[in-house]
Amino acid sequence: MSQQTLADKVGVTRQTIFAIEKGKYSPSLVVAFKISDVFKVSLESVFGYV
Amino acid sequence: MNFSYKEKSLIASLGVTLLIFGWYFYGAFSNLTLKSEPPGFVGIIILVVLVAALESIIQGFLALKSKSQLEDERDKLIEKISYRYGYWFLSACIWFLMAQILLDTRFDHLPVLTTPNGMFHLLLLCFVLAEVTNFVAQLYYYRKGI
Repeated sequence: MSQQTLADKVGVTRQTIFAIEKGKYSPSLVVAFKISDVFKVSLESVFGYV
Repeated sequence: MNFSYKEKSLIASLGVTLLIFGWYFYGAFSNLTLKSEPPGFVGIIILVVLVAALESIIQGFLALKSKSQLEDERDKLIEKISYRYGYWFLSACIWFLMAQILLDTRFDHLPVLTTPNGMFHLLLLCFVLAEVTNFVAQLYYYRKGI
């Protein structure tokens, strides 16, 4: 899935998806849940606290 | 270096602000004397409107070229934090100018601090620099991450 497709599904910009992937931005809970919902996996398997 | 629509828009706004107000302040401060005439308020309003119009035109042009113009939570967070920096800068400037007015300082002989015209331009400069601080902080957070 491309960054733009994920961004469209979640309702954020492609730059925000890029920033999340690079670890430059911690998304809100709403966006985090939407991302895990798109991939149909649990929140913990997408995001982890380091 | 790859810039997003928001970054290009910020750089354009910063450039226009620095160029127009830089030109204005250069003229204003280089002609400042103890007998300076007060500035024309209408002229200042026209200047501010001109800057805002130019920024809007450039942003509109950039938006046409960009596919994604959506503003999301990250943009709003960066804007909020950057405005705070602008606010603190403006507060510091205002406190500094108030101290200059009330206290006897070594800068008392300068026309910029003793004439209403000079003080007006210093206040305007503070507002412009606070806006520049806001733009620079936004650019920094878009690059560095937040």
